[in-house]
Amino acid sequence: MWFSVDFSSPVPVYKQIKEKIKALIKSGKLRKDDFVPSIRSLAQDLQVNINTVARAYRELMSEGVLQPVRGEGYVVGELNEEDFTNQLIEQFERAAVDCKRVGIDLKVLKEKLEMIYGRNEDDFESRRA
Amino acid sequence: MILRVEGLKKTYKQNRAVDNVSFQVEESSIFALLGPNGAGKTTTIKCILNLRKADSGKILLNGSFAYLPETKELYRYLTVEKMVEVSSSVTQNFEKNKCIELLDEFQIPLREKIANLSHGMLTQTYMALVLSQKADIYFMDEPTWGLDPIMRNRILELIRALTYDGRTVFYTSHILAEVEKVADVVAIMVKGKIAEVDSLDNLKEKYVLCVVPKGEKIDGFHYKSTENEDIYVVRKESAKGIVEPANFDVIFESIVKGVK
Repeated sequence: MWFSVDFSSPVPVYKQIKEKIKALIKSGKLRKDDFVPSIRSLAQDLQVNINTVARAYRELMSEGVLQPVRGEGYVVGELNEEDFTNQLIEQFERAAVDCKRVGIDLKVLKEKLEMIYGRNEDDFESRRA
Repeated sequence: MILRVEGLKKTYKQNRAVDNVSFQVEESSIFALLGPNGAGKTTTIKCILNLRKADSGKILLNGSFAYLPETKELYRYLTVEKMVEVSSSVTQNFEKNKCIELLDEFQIPLREKIANLSHGMLTQTYMALVLSQKADIYFMDEPTWGLDPIMRNRILELIRALTYDGRTVFYTSHILAEVEKVADVVAIMVKGKIAEVDSLDNLKEKYVLCVVPKGEKIDGFHYKSTENEDIYVVRKESAKGIVEPANFDVIFESIVKGVK
């Protein structure tokens, strides 16, 4: 498991880690009962402090997103999809408000949305290649 | 808790270098003491290690320590190899093999005289010596000063690795981008006082930027002013006006400037 972390962002690093793990679950890349890396190895892989990953895992556990397996590590539990979806929609709303504030036309946003939703996986892969 | 400092004071002839400083450091964490030049960071470390006599205050250090001083001075006439020998013979719990491995990784020529090393190589050599000493807490005063970005990242990795084995790091720096990558807890020191101490993530959650009409009173640290607005770093609960997220750079700068 690897994703990027932005140290200079105003968003605390432990929060970024939580969000990225939730996104991996939501997108199906991590499934229920899958093992996630140990705190130490994720810290090493992401090059962040062990305490930071520990904090992210601790909160994910209290939310039920991760579950400890005694002696073995942590597995994916239940993602509260509604909470997570609402959070993303809130983020989207904030971005949309910014766009509106600077006078970006609704048509432009609509086109963008249609483009993103209309794009199928093959297109995405070919764009990456 | 591996280190506790209470009411530490140290005055040189004219200036009060450390003015009633208190904080504590938890085990297996990386604690960064951070502040502008002349804030009193080095004096604080020296008082903790008893290299300077404090005027007053209490220091509780629970364990063995290793120390990388601000001025990286080693015996100039010795070769690097001989320097390792000397360190090995005078230092408790010194892992000579680890030291040679690190020096090899850093590409420091073992047969070269210390005097012929560049500033960066000297820092790396000193760092290798300190990292090879087994201790409970490592005091590092500006450990990456003068190193290139790649080597700096490697040093940060090595610092982080110490905590994996339950060891603690107390370090000072004035490079914010570096502190953001490696510190668990930061203490911001200004003019001999600790202006703020908390985990880096908590600080980012605690403070926001507020843009208010010029002259409006708000309880926080002044960041800057434009023609018609004042911009402050404010605790979330007393935010007003236009609120924006604050990154650590901005929080640090505002707090430092805000201390009279």
